[in-house]
Amino acid sequence: MWYLPNLEISVLQLMKRLLTSAFLFLSLLPLSACSNNSSPNSSANSAAQTKTQTKTFVTGAIPDQDAEKLQRLYGKLSQYLEAELKTPVSYKPVTDYTAAVTAFKVGDLDMVWFGGLTGVQARLQVPGAEALAQRDIDAKFHSVFIANKNSGIQPINNLKELTVLKGHSFTFGSESSTSGRLMPQYFLQQAGVTLEDFKGQSGFSQNHDATIALVTAGTYDAGVLNEQVWQKRLQEGKIDRSKIDVIWRSPEYYDYHWVISPSVKQRFGDDFPQKVQTALMKLDPKVAEQKEILELFGATKFVPTKNENYARIEQVGREIGKIK
Amino acid sequence: MSRPASRFISPSLQWGMIGLIAIALSLWQAGLFRQTVVNFNGFPLLWRFVAASVHPDLSYDLLATTLQASLVTLAYAVCGTFLSVTIGAIAGVFCSEVWWLEVLRAKRLRYFGFHSVRAILAFPRAIHELIWGLFFLNIWGLDPLVAVAAIAIPFGAITAKVFSEILDETPRQPLLALINSGVAPITAFFYTLLPQAFLNLLSYSFYRFECSIRSAAVLGIIGAGGLGYEILLSLQSLRYEQLWTFFYALLILNGGVDIASATLRNQLGCASRIDLNSHRPTKRNISNSRIFSLFPIAIAGVALSFWYIQPDLSKIGSPRSQQLLHQIVQTSLPPNFTGIAELIPLSVETVAMSVLAIAIAASGGLLLAFPAAQIFLLSGLLNRRGNANLFPLVLLVIARIVLLLCRAIPAPIWALVVLYVLFPGILPGAIGLGLHNLGILGRLFAEVIENLEQPPLKALSAGGTPNSLVFLYGVLPATMPRFLAYTLYRWEVCMRETVIVGLVGAGGLGRLLTEQLSSFDYQSLIVTLGAFLVLTFLVDWISGRVRRSLRAS
Amino acid sequence: MSSDPIISVDRVTLQFGQFTALTDISLHIVAGERVALVGSSGAGKSTLIRLLNGTLEPTRGEVQAFGQKLHQLKPKHHRQIQRQIGTIYQQLHLVDNLRVIHNVNAGHLGHWSFLKALISLIVPLDVATATQALAQVGIPEKLYDRTDRLSGGQQQRVAIARVLVQNPMVILADEPISSLDRELSREVMEILCNCQSSRTLIVSLHDVDVALRYCDRMIGLRRGRILFDAPSTAVSSEMIADLYRL
Repeated sequence: MWYLPNLEISVLQLMKRLLTSAFLFLSLLPLSACSNNSSPNSSANSAAQTKTQTKTFVTGAIPDQDAEKLQRLYGKLSQYLEAELKTPVSYKPVTDYTAAVTAFKVGDLDMVWFGGLTGVQARLQVPGAEALAQRDIDAKFHSVFIANKNSGIQPINNLKELTVLKGHSFTFGSESSTSGRLMPQYFLQQAGVTLEDFKGQSGFSQNHDATIALVTAGTYDAGVLNEQVWQKRLQEGKIDRSKIDVIWRSPEYYDYHWVISPSVKQRFGDDFPQKVQTALMKLDPKVAEQKEILELFGATKFVPTKNENYARIEQVGREIGKIK
Repeated sequence: MSRPASRFISPSLQWGMIGLIAIALSLWQAGLFRQTVVNFNGFPLLWRFVAASVHPDLSYDLLATTLQASLVTLAYAVCGTFLSVTIGAIAGVFCSEVWWLEVLRAKRLRYFGFHSVRAILAFPRAIHELIWGLFFLNIWGLDPLVAVAAIAIPFGAITAKVFSEILDETPRQPLLALINSGVAPITAFFYTLLPQAFLNLLSYSFYRFECSIRSAAVLGIIGAGGLGYEILLSLQSLRYEQLWTFFYALLILNGGVDIASATLRNQLGCASRIDLNSHRPTKRNISNSRIFSLFPIAIAGVALSFWYIQPDLSKIGSPRSQQLLHQIVQTSLPPNFTGIAELIPLSVETVAMSVLAIAIAASGGLLLAFPAAQIFLLSGLLNRRGNANLFPLVLLVIARIVLLLCRAIPAPIWALVVLYVLFPGILPGAIGLGLHNLGILGRLFAEVIENLEQPPLKALSAGGTPNSLVFLYGVLPATMPRFLAYTLYRWEVCMRETVIVGLVGAGGLGRLLTEQLSSFDYQSLIVTLGAFLVLTFLVDWISGRVRRSLRAS
Repeated sequence: MSSDPIISVDRVTLQFGQFTALTDISLHIVAGERVALVGSSGAGKSTLIRLLNGTLEPTRGEVQAFGQKLHQLKPKHHRQIQRQIGTIYQQLHLVDNLRVIHNVNAGHLGHWSFLKALISLIVPLDVATATQALAQVGIPEKLYDRTDRLSGGQQQRVAIARVLVQNPMVILADEPISSLDRELSREVMEILCNCQSSRTLIVSLHDVDVALRYCDRMIGLRRGRILFDAPSTAVSSEMIADLYRL
């Protein structure tokens, strides 16, 4: 074991070692500081970003999936937007849903890929913010309820039958997720299932991939997630269908969308939101580079959207208590 | 009636019984005898997690990420410690009794001055780093400044309190002697009291650095980056091999800082971490000039850390920040008291969680502290024959590694692991908090044992007393009061930390706070925070009372 | 030498709560006098000394030093008076973990600015004066030693050197030889008495022989009252016996 030798050597030797390693450490600092531009938490270059903030268009996204994938996806998107808009574009990673909304409010993020609920929350806090665009699938989005086969939960045909989940353990995704929490809780409520009906307290896995993993492992009998992530993982062959399967597909609702801050108009001109919208819609599955971006998003194309589309989400949000 | 009762049972026994009842009630509150708490389906996943510990991911890319994340965590800790010690040094002087009484000679003003400074500092102390972090996020946005300030403010207030206690406990006669020979009080203060207290202040600053490392890891979980963040990501995507690589990095970081700080403190002749009240004669192996030669290194370290994380200091007073501050104050007012009925059961849950956590931490720490203390190995106290017996050495190493692992891994991460096999609720939170604090308490306990006065034990032993009885009559009575004092002090910390395990789905007020945060319901949030403050002060008060009554008996 | 008293105590009573430490004390001391305070322990010697240097305030009566009423002065003037009164305490009150030179230099602090004091803590200033003072007390080689590494007798000399550096008009010494052997006691008393003749010395002693040998005036204290106040030559063995009577 690596720990043992340390205990044996004398204090002086130890001091020497510590000092030498400290100096080695310090001499490494500049190197690693330079090389961390691409890492998810590149704190070193954030100051540089703030200084040039007036010129850089900063994008962000709610961390609903694997952070590494988000990094790859938004790196490519930034490159594309930079070429299209002829403005420097950067991507800032955020660790949770609430932080994404807060960063948008504070003005650290100019345009964010929000979920339905977080988008509404963000727009309520930033007057003048606009829902700009969404994927073709987002206007008719669904959640899927999944269950571990060993739990004995059988697929159901309509909302009222969600009562089969009573007495089983159950996990949501993030607290602020539209497809992983808000709408499912709303549907459960309509079926007459309250959170107290589950076995133990219901869990919050924090993201959709974690929900799949936890239900597969059997930690929870059942869970709910974003249908698009589910389909994607099915295609990738990452789901063991001998262990879990879908028991119900929810009715449709509006979900993910880009929200842009009104401050960009002052910095880049009044027509800037329009330009960004056009650039997003121009993404073409026939161009190899752009196809990859669309694929990473799980979309065939982007379509325009507007604030009014999310009135229902806002209403449900108020009912569940996620919007005050 | 406590007075007649105390004639038959000693206060310690009385408090012990109250403690046991509190633990039993907390267990009931945790639902142990009422509902399903264990989720047997989660054990395979837990096993995968444990099994991955022997083959961490050592690929080049991941090691590079690990190094960079470790540096971020270390840099946050260095900057946070630097600022908190600076704040603590300044505020500590102003909330020390000696400053008001002897230096300012403001006898009448003293009650106003020093009590008001102390009262003001009680608030930043009672609010967890995490809440500070979320608050600063709202006014400064995504900036490393947030994490640094989140460590610096509460830790600065804690440091100020301890520094003022150190200053007040330092003998005052040399100070008075100078003042009475006509020296300006401020000059006399810097010339006598500060040099006298310096070692204790320095020793506590080292301890604060150890705490800052742990705190920097926790702040990573809420998005400050560094090891905590990487660990959370790997845990959520169930990549256990990567997870263990980060765990080991955290272990090395914590272990390294602990060893370095212990070595330095040992060299300086200030043996223990926070037990500064026992004024044992200082045996110093290091000269003043060598202490001062440490300063350039420290300054260079601080400068490098600030340069590495690059906080945007211009944000502190910028109009934009002021506007956002104004905005957040406005959205939080007036407080919304409609949910106050809900707060009462949740407050009970929170207290129960803290009681269970400290019970786990104290009993586990006690169990591991004795094998982890070097004294039994070196003095041969329990191994009198002096033959080469490897068993205690192996035990010592294992005990220390377990303690280090426990305290290096942040409580919310422990809670997330426990959540595999327990349903969400206060029990997983309590276990997570308990495990983390077990590592800290065990280390403190071991230090108490190592600093034990030897002669009385040797005398017992020389009289032919068997080892087990030496332990019972010599070691336990000498260490128990200190153990209890540490446990009570740590209970206050546990209470504050219930917030962070609430964040990952453990119950209590922390859970409610998370919901309110994600709903941006600041008007209700402020009421919940108020409840938290009340609970923290309550626990501080009870703990202080118990400590006083135990000291008196 | 003027005959105006340099220090005068007028009908002073001092109480600590219920306990009366000094009762109706009056005495006048002129410049250049060497006064011994004698009496058994608990007689009020240390209390009287702390009254004279302004640490304690009388409950009734008043204390004057250099013609000023000590307890009606503003802090600034109070300090100016106190600089002219150097005290050697029984427990020395040195800063243990500083080097000897800093403890000796502490005698300068009444004159030094705050900044100079801070700088001197890092780079000792005025080394020459300190060395000279230490040479006077016989331990010049200990200049850079740590104070807590010195023996009791050496620490006593450091405390004296500190007062020498302060160069006050009055030296108050509280039992300066109580913990020393005969030979050391003699040396210390010589050092205290060999200062310039204009300097006033007030020293509390438990050893009457030493008091007789080195001081020209003796004040006998018993249970907080002055039993006698006379030139050393006029003190009889009956007076001494009376002083230590149980």
